[in-house]
Amino acid sequence: MNSVIKALAFTSVLILAIVALAYATSSGGLGVLPPESLRPLAITYLRTVYNPENPKFTAMAPEAVTAILWDYRGLDTLFETVVFYGAIIAVLTLYRETYRERDILPLKGLSIVVKRATAVTSLAILSVAVATALHGHLTPGGGFQAGAIAAVAPLVMLIVFSKRFLSDRLSHVQLLTMRNLGLLGLGLTAIALAIVGFAIGEKAFIFQNQAKEMSKLSFPQRILGVPAGGTLLFFNIFEALAVAAGFTLVFMVLLSSEELSRKEIVGEEHGY
Amino acid sequence: MKNMVIEIPKTMYMITIVALYVNIAVALYAILAKPNLVKKIIALTILGDTVNTFAILAGYKVWRPGLVLQPPVLTELDDVSREVIEEFVSRSVDPLPQALVLTAIVINLAVTLFLIVLALYMYRHFGTVDMDRIGRMKRGVISEEVG
Repeated sequence: MNSVIKALAFTSVLILAIVALAYATSSGGLGVLPPESLRPLAITYLRTVYNPENPKFTAMAPEAVTAILWDYRGLDTLFETVVFYGAIIAVLTLYRETYRERDILPLKGLSIVVKRATAVTSLAILSVAVATALHGHLTPGGGFQAGAIAAVAPLVMLIVFSKRFLSDRLSHVQLLTMRNLGLLGLGLTAIALAIVGFAIGEKAFIFQNQAKEMSKLSFPQRILGVPAGGTLLFFNIFEALAVAAGFTLVFMVLLSSEELSRKEIVGEEHGY
Repeated sequence: MKNMVIEIPKTMYMITIVALYVNIAVALYAILAKPNLVKKIIALTILGDTVNTFAILAGYKVWRPGLVLQPPVLTELDDVSREVIEEFVSRSVDPLPQALVLTAIVINLAVTLFLIVLALYMYRHFGTVDMDRIGRMKRGVISEEVG
């Protein structure tokens, strides 16, 4: 009885909150979102994002969102990446004793029809991921999205072909190496111009993309005749590599057999 | 004329906003009241996605009546004159909320992945993901040890 009253009170409070907020919104309480005074900020970004006439401030990338993510707010995104890999490392740490071991599951998988269909669709998924990574600075998309798309292929393969099939071909060492190469590439792209500047005695900054007033060094604006957005192309490729490898590692841990995963908690039955 | 342009989006705007409020309320209810950890995680993702939609909605503002909005992507690449850029600047939506939401989505994804693994770990440890039952089991163990 007591719990019913509790649930009723809680639900009515939530409904009351919805009605109050809706009334406040309809009577103009939130105003017209967002305030007019925020528009100049957007205009500054939009005007400088691809502007050959303004070489001191432009990022030379036609996609404003990716340019903001990796150029204007690049340091922000670098620390976001740190949070992301922190979570993946935390997952691997929870299963630190078993994620290296070979699984005892048999090599069985689903039927031959599903396997062949998955083989074709996995290739398609991977090519979409590559296209998303390489066009991240031209169309909506980018490194994280490409990595997340690419990780779908191993996820489907883990279920359809069994875990042994994938882990025999793509070991955790290879995946960790791929992830570390991606992260190394990210770091090197961020400080590449600073290193070059240090070597040849020019001024340059961390996270520098195009030439600035104080520094003449610049990433290439076009590669093979296509706008490359300087650092953005490299950031997207390395990020996609690292995200795809990290996700695949976590999926392999998640989809291990129950017998193997239970080894991790042996000895914890007594005392919570 | 001005009223006509504004009137129709305002109804749609209200419907969208109220739907988002309802989403937030349902998600909060599930996070606070449901004992099942999996339901809590699902509700957390709903809450995160709703708040992200709010931020995107804030960027999609018709800040001048009768304006046709476009995504913040410049499609003219070879012959970029000042007129092309000014047209792009006047019609594009605000790219900053989208960039912030992109960051939020990625962090949300990583945290959700970690929470799922933790919930799986708890399931293997306790045999259930029901927080009430786990609490009862722990109380039982403690009272056994004490008394």
